[in-house]
Amino acid sequence: MKSLSKLLALLFIGVMLLAACAPATTPTEAPATVAPATEPATEAPMTEAPTEAPTGEVPVTGSCPLPVEEGATIVFSGWGDETEQQIYRDSIERFGSVCPGVTVDYQPVPTEFQDKLKAQMAGGTAPDVFYIDDQLMTAFVPTGQLLALDPYMEEAGVSSDDFIPALMTIFTQDGQTYALPKDWGTLGLVYLPAAFEAAGIDEPTDDWTWEDMRAAAQAIADTGTYGGFCMGPDWARFAPFVFSNGGAFASEDNTTATLDTPEVKEMANFVAEMKEEGSLVTPSDVGATWCGEAIGLELVGMTTEGGWMVNFMKQTYPDVEWKAVQIPAGPVTRADVIFTNGIGVNAATEFPNAAAALAMYLTSAENQAEIVNTGFAYSTHPEQADLVQDPNDLAISGGGLLPDTRVAYWGPSTGAVNTAVSQALERVFLGDQDVDTAFAQAQEEAQAALGGGR
Amino acid sequence: MATVTNEPSAAPSRRTLMAVLSFLVVFIVLMTIALFNAPTMGGPRVMATVETYLTEVRRTALPFLGAVALLAIVLGLAAARVVYREWPNPKRRTNLIMGYLFLAPYLLITLTFTVGVVLFALYISFTNYDIFSPPQWAGLANYARAFQEKNFLQGLHNVLWYSLLVVPTQTAAAILLAVLLNSQNRFKQFFRTIFYAPSVTSSVVITLIFMWFYLRTGYINYFISNFLGTFGVEWKNINWLGDPRGLIQLIVQAFGGDIPSDQWYLRGPSIALMAIMFQNVFTTAPTFMIMFLAALQDINPALYEAASLDGANGWHRFWKITVPLLRPIILLVVVLGTIGTLQIFDQVYLATQGGPLGTSLTPVYVLYQEALGTEGPIQMGYAAAMAFILAVLIFFFTFLQRRFIERETQLY
Repeated sequence: MKSLSKLLALLFIGVMLLAACAPATTPTEAPATVAPATEPATEAPMTEAPTEAPTGEVPVTGSCPLPVEEGATIVFSGWGDETEQQIYRDSIERFGSVCPGVTVDYQPVPTEFQDKLKAQMAGGTAPDVFYIDDQLMTAFVPTGQLLALDPYMEEAGVSSDDFIPALMTIFTQDGQTYALPKDWGTLGLVYLPAAFEAAGIDEPTDDWTWEDMRAAAQAIADTGTYGGFCMGPDWARFAPFVFSNGGAFASEDNTTATLDTPEVKEMANFVAEMKEEGSLVTPSDVGATWCGEAIGLELVGMTTEGGWMVNFMKQTYPDVEWKAVQIPAGPVTRADVIFTNGIGVNAATEFPNAAAALAMYLTSAENQAEIVNTGFAYSTHPEQADLVQDPNDLAISGGGLLPDTRVAYWGPSTGAVNTAVSQALERVFLGDQDVDTAFAQAQEEAQAALGGGR
Repeated sequence: MATVTNEPSAAPSRRTLMAVLSFLVVFIVLMTIALFNAPTMGGPRVMATVETYLTEVRRTALPFLGAVALLAIVLGLAAARVVYREWPNPKRRTNLIMGYLFLAPYLLITLTFTVGVVLFALYISFTNYDIFSPPQWAGLANYARAFQEKNFLQGLHNVLWYSLLVVPTQTAAAILLAVLLNSQNRFKQFFRTIFYAPSVTSSVVITLIFMWFYLRTGYINYFISNFLGTFGVEWKNINWLGDPRGLIQLIVQAFGGDIPSDQWYLRGPSIALMAIMFQNVFTTAPTFMIMFLAALQDINPALYEAASLDGANGWHRFWKITVPLLRPIILLVVVLGTIGTLQIFDQVYLATQGGPLGTSLTPVYVLYQEALGTEGPIQMGYAAAMAFILAVLIFFFTFLQRRFIERETQLY
C-alpha cells in the first residue's frame, strides 16, 4: 500500500519534471534538428508576382548590376504610405526583369520603422535590404551591421560621384559607402499669389534674398488678412537661413558645436526680429498644425516647404492657388537644406550580391527616372534634375542642386544637435529668452551631445 | 493514514545527498535561464546550432553569467539548507517537494521571461551597451549620469508634479462618481456604462481626439472663449499642448514678475503637461470608479440607517462612514494611480514628444529615446539605469503610501 503510493508519487514527479523541463530543453534541441540556417524561409512571395502580371510594358533596358547568387531570396523593407509602397512594388518588378534570378520579398513597415529595424537587427532577423537614415547610420555603422557597398559598386561600375554630392555625406563614413540615396527633398519659398495681390506687391522671384522676403512678409502682414511668413521653431526651416550666411550647426569634423557663432546668431536675430515685428508667425499662432496647412487654409502669405506640398495641396486644398520659387539667398550665398534617405544592405545577409544589386538598382538612374515620372520624389542623379514635371516642384527642387546646399547632418549626435536648435528657436519665439541666451544654452547642449556621444 | 514518525533509518548521508541535489537543481535551472536571457544577438545565424549560440554567449555575456552564477550559488545554498532541515520529517518533506513541483511550470516561465529579463536589465544598467556589441562594464556611471542630465531630471520633476496633481484629482473624481452612481438605482447600469466608456477606449484614440480639442482653434478654446464671452471677458486662445508656461510661473506673472528659463524647475507644471493631466484624469477616473462602486456595495446599509437615527446628515455619513470604510480601496487606487502616473508614456509620445521645451518629458519617454537611440547612439545601459531609478522611486512612494493610508485598516 505504502510502496504503491510511493511509486505513484514518483511516477507523478517524473511526469511533472518532464513537463516542466520540456519548454526549457526545446530551444537547445530545436536548432540542431532545423540545422542549417542557410536555408532561408521560403515564403515564395514571388509566386504571386507573375499572376499579378507586370502591366505589360516593363522595358528590359538594363542588365543586372551584379552576377547574383543562384536562387537568392532577399527581404526588402522600408517605411512609406500606400503611394510609396506601390512605387517600390513597381521598382521591384523592374528589378525582377533585369535580375530575374532574385526573389524579393517586400515587407513595408509604415510607422516606427527605425525602432523595429533596430530590434530586428539585434535579434538577427533584420531584412537584407532596407531604408537608411542618419539615425540608422548612427546605430548600425559603428558596430558593423551594414555592408560596405564599395566593392560591389566597383564591380557594377557604380560610383558615388553619380549622385548629388550633398546626399552622400550621411551615407559615407571613414571612406566607406554604406547606403545609396534613394530620394531627397529640400525647401523652396512657397507662397499664395492672392496674398501678394492683396498687399499690392510683386510676387517672389528666383533671385530673392531673405531681406526681400522680410519686406514682403511685412507688407502682407500689414494687410491684416494674411500672416506674413510662416515658420515654426524647427531646425529644418532655420537651416537654410544659417547655411546662406555661411554658417552651420557644427564644425566640419562634427566635434564642435557652432551655435554661438555670429553666422548662426545673426540669422537667429533676423527671424527673432521678424517674429517680434509680426512679419513671422508660427503655425500655432494662426491655428494650423504646420505651415503647409497654413498655406492651404490661406492663413499666411509665404512659408518654406518642400516637394510634398504638390500632392498635399492637390489632395487637400485643390482649389487654393499656390506657387513656389527657389529658396531666397542670404548675406553670403544661396544655400538650401537637403533631406535624404538611402538604401543599405545588412552585413549579415546570405546573398550580398543580390542584396547589393537591389540597392544599386533601386537607386540607379534607370529606376530613379521612373520614380521621378510618378511625381513622388526627385532623382538622386544630378543629370535627371530637369525630369521633375510640376513647375512648383521644379522650382523647389532647384535649391537642392546649389553648390553650398548641404544636409543638416552632424555625425552620430545629429538628432540631439538639431533638437537643441529647435528648442532655442522655441524659447526665442515664445519670448522666453533672447537670442544670445537661447543660443548659448543650445551651444552647451549641442556640445554636450557632440562631445559626450561615442 | 501514515502516522508521522521520524524514521530513524533515514541515513544522514541520504539527507546530505538530497541537499546537494537540490542545490544542483536550483543552480542548473537558474544558469539555464540566464543562458537564455544572456546573448546580445539572436536570429537564425546565432541560433543555428548549440555551438554558434555558445560562441555568441562567450562573446557577449560571460560577466553576466558570472554574476548570475553567484546569485545561483546563494539561492542554491538556501534551497539546500531548507531541504536538509526538512528532510527527516516525511510529511514536510513531501509537502516541500510537491509544493515546488506544482509551482515549477509557472516558476520556470516567470523566472525566464520576467525575473531573468529584469536581472539582465539590472546587469546592463552597469554597462555601456549598444545592443549589438558586448556590454562594456561602466560601474555606476550610468546612474551618476542620470542625475546629471537635464532631460531625465526634468522628466522626474514633471512626473512628480504629474502624480501630485493627478492622483488626488482622479481618486476624488472616482469616489464622487461612484457615490453619485450608488445613490440612485434607476439608470445605474446606463450611467455606469457611459462613465466607464473612456476607460475601455484605447488611450491612443483618446489622445488623438484630445489633440484636436487642444488646438489653438480647437473646441476647448472655443468653449472657454464663448463661455467667458457671455460675461464680457476676453479670452486669449491657448495652444494647450504647445504652451510651456508653468503654473507657478503664471501666478508669478499675474503679479508682474517672471521666472527665467534656466530656472525651469521653479516654474511648476506647464500648461502642456496639465493638459495631458486633464486627459489622464478623464480616462482613468472611471476605471477606479468601478472599484469604488464595488466597494460601496459592500458597505452595510444598516450603518447609514443607524447614523441617520443619530442625526447624522449626508455630509457626515459620507465622511464618517463611506470614506473610512473605503480606505483599503483608496489605498489601492492611490498606489495604482501613483505607479501609473510615474510611468506615463503613451500620451506624451503621441501628443507632445516631450515638448514644449521639455516640460512634458517623462522618465519613461527619455528612457525610450535613449534605449532606441532616437536622438543619438543607442544607450541601452543608460536607459536600463533610468528604469531602475524610476523603479526604486516607485517602490519608495508605494511604501510611503502604505505607511500613511494603511494605518488602522486591515491589509488589503
